[in-house]
Amino acid sequence: MNLWQLMLAEFKAIFADKAIMVTLFGGVLFYSVLYPLPYLNQVPTEQQVVVVDHDNSSLSRLVTRHADASAKVHILANLASIDEAETWISEGKAHGLLVIPANFRRDLLLGKGATLSYGGDASYFLIYSAVAEGLVAAGLDASKQVQLIGLLARGQNPQLAQQSVNSININSVPAFNPSLGYTPYVIPGLFLLILHQTLLIGTGILGAGQWRRPGYWQHVSPGVLVFARLSVFLLIYSVFSSFYLGYCFYWYQVSVAATIIEVGLFMLPFLLATCALGIVFSSLFARRDLSTQVYLLMSMPVLFVSGFVWPIALIPEPLVMISQIIPAVPAIMGMLELNQLGAGWLAVMPKWLQLWGLFAVFACIAIMRVAARQKQAKAMLS
Amino acid sequence: MMTELFKREFNALWHSPWQLALISYIPLIGVLALWWLFSAGLPRQLPVAVVDVDNSQISRMLTRQLAANAVIAPQSYANEAQAIEAMRQTQVYAMVVLPYQLKKDLLTGQQPTIDIRYNSQFLLVGKLLSSQLQLSLAEGLTQVGQQRLLLNGANKATVDVSLSPITNQTTALFNRNNNYVGFLVPPILIALWQLLSMLVFINSLNQELVLYQNRYYFPKQIWALIATKILFYSPIMLLHGGFILLWLYHYLGLPAAGALVDLMLAQLAMLMALWLMVLVIFTGMRDSARSVSFCTALFAPAFAFMGITFPVNDMPLLAQWWRLIMPSSHYIDSHVSVISYGVELPHVLGQISGYWGFLLLLPFIVFFANKAKDVPKIDLTSNDVNQELS
Repeated sequence: MNLWQLMLAEFKAIFADKAIMVTLFGGVLFYSVLYPLPYLNQVPTEQQVVVVDHDNSSLSRLVTRHADASAKVHILANLASIDEAETWISEGKAHGLLVIPANFRRDLLLGKGATLSYGGDASYFLIYSAVAEGLVAAGLDASKQVQLIGLLARGQNPQLAQQSVNSININSVPAFNPSLGYTPYVIPGLFLLILHQTLLIGTGILGAGQWRRPGYWQHVSPGVLVFARLSVFLLIYSVFSSFYLGYCFYWYQVSVAATIIEVGLFMLPFLLATCALGIVFSSLFARRDLSTQVYLLMSMPVLFVSGFVWPIALIPEPLVMISQIIPAVPAIMGMLELNQLGAGWLAVMPKWLQLWGLFAVFACIAIMRVAARQKQAKAMLS
Repeated sequence: MMTELFKREFNALWHSPWQLALISYIPLIGVLALWWLFSAGLPRQLPVAVVDVDNSQISRMLTRQLAANAVIAPQSYANEAQAIEAMRQTQVYAMVVLPYQLKKDLLTGQQPTIDIRYNSQFLLVGKLLSSQLQLSLAEGLTQVGQQRLLLNGANKATVDVSLSPITNQTTALFNRNNNYVGFLVPPILIALWQLLSMLVFINSLNQELVLYQNRYYFPKQIWALIATKILFYSPIMLLHGGFILLWLYHYLGLPAAGALVDLMLAQLAMLMALWLMVLVIFTGMRDSARSVSFCTALFAPAFAFMGITFPVNDMPLLAQWWRLIMPSSHYIDSHVSVISYGVELPHVLGQISGYWGFLLLLPFIVFFANKAKDVPKIDLTSNDVNQELS
């Protein structure tokens, strides 16, 4: 059996297996739609907020109107008391409240100062930050207007007054994900993880199904078998990767900074290392459905330890160290730096080499494990 | 009869190392590892590049002001190019540029601009830094403004008020210090718990499949078997659910406004809904590998649909419908109500009645199961071990 025939046999084994086909093709396609689905609207807008207006003056109504004008906040109702607002929030009808104190306008005109209180439901962080940002912006705006009126009343030149109200500009701009969208944030890391997990499951099902049955895999040397399997999965996954990193990134408006050659060069050791790891693990599974279960339980920890949801600096050191042997972990971070942050090739070189190192180690173990499985099978037959 | 079935179930569990792992150490390791990952709780000392081109008294004061913020760990960079490079390599999460002649412009009444760039690719960290940086800088600049007003001969009592007539007081309700353990860990653990429960149940069901002439059938007493499994595994998984609650709200002492017992009830309801979904898939597919794959595909993204990280109201309609299929999303609503709002039992019962849709699955289960019981004339009362699973 030469290499081409072997690769053809591998292809046949993969395409004839319904479970692998469902996981690989079904899973990759299904998840490319399902996972980003909740985030398609990108940013939380128009959060429901109730107002408790104890002042009921022209100025307090102005603040309310300005808050409502913010895209982040929708003023739902004007309630009589904070207790009532509490019930609205605990019934889930509102997610935030704005309290305007009594004598708000009077105190401001007298130059005494007043305090606006905002509350947001911090059980949901995005809701809370949207409510807080929207209300604080409205409050600051009102504050500036009061200042301006005060200065003008004291006979200031309008232009000077404007200037002294805004004595300095703080220009805070998001970089790399300019829209602050949720899909550009989640998708680059998540899609690499999906590729990683489905590839592991695919090799796992294929291997676990084969070891107990006689077949073509016994008649070739373990090195050649591993090489052929790597090549076949690499071919299939280069198509999936192109779909994910190419079309899906474009479709979901993920910002892209690297060239196609850099991305391809970085994906190569990632896919190889993942596939080799998959072959190693497949030799440990006795049942076909076991690999799906193991990898399913692993996926959430791997996602969170990769460091794009929760900063790596805050993850306990031992967890970070252990996680470095999982190909997805250096790959997700490296790919983010390369493709989303535009760090340049030299910056991700260490991670690239780490992936090659992982591949080398896993490939050696894979060959040893396959050899052991072949020996077992031979012993069983004889 | 019932005790016998239970004994049989126990034996099956005892002889399956993987099932034993799924109900013993895997949940424990999973729960503790995921908590450990987020155990820092509050993002602190996040590196921020400060490019101080002005190098004046005011710019240094602003840098000190940044250093005084617990979230920010300012790091000096000599020029913008280096800071940008560091930001691209995620060595810093944001950069602040204090421009040339900042002090002079401030004193001469020009409007200088302080530039902040934050890494929004890491959305949570970026947003937090953006607001904290602005807060700290604004605080520092108020001091500068104060001095100027005083120098102009303003009355000391009126200085504060004329600088910022309206004070803002922002309160994070139900999670005072924006603790990530309280916010993110419970839904993650519930998602994990749902996956574990699903796997335990489907594995146990798959053991009952009978292979006959390349097709799978059910034994005659399938209903009794299913009932036994529900009675057997519900308490075990409930124990793990209870452990999660005790761990988070008793041992770690996260604030919980309501009674945890109510949540156990909600967990029981969630398990029942989950069992119904798994039963439909199991009876409909009758193939161990395929039903596991299908359940996996279905329940793996449950976390994204809970609506904790991204609010439900802002999801597209299709996502909101899909969310209703996931038992975990129903549960998490009760969880937040009890833990945050401290609602009482009647309210929780009201939420539990929201599971009624899952009862519609019952006819399908009965239909599929009865269809698969029509085995062509062989005795299948004994429990043949499924060859696929051996």
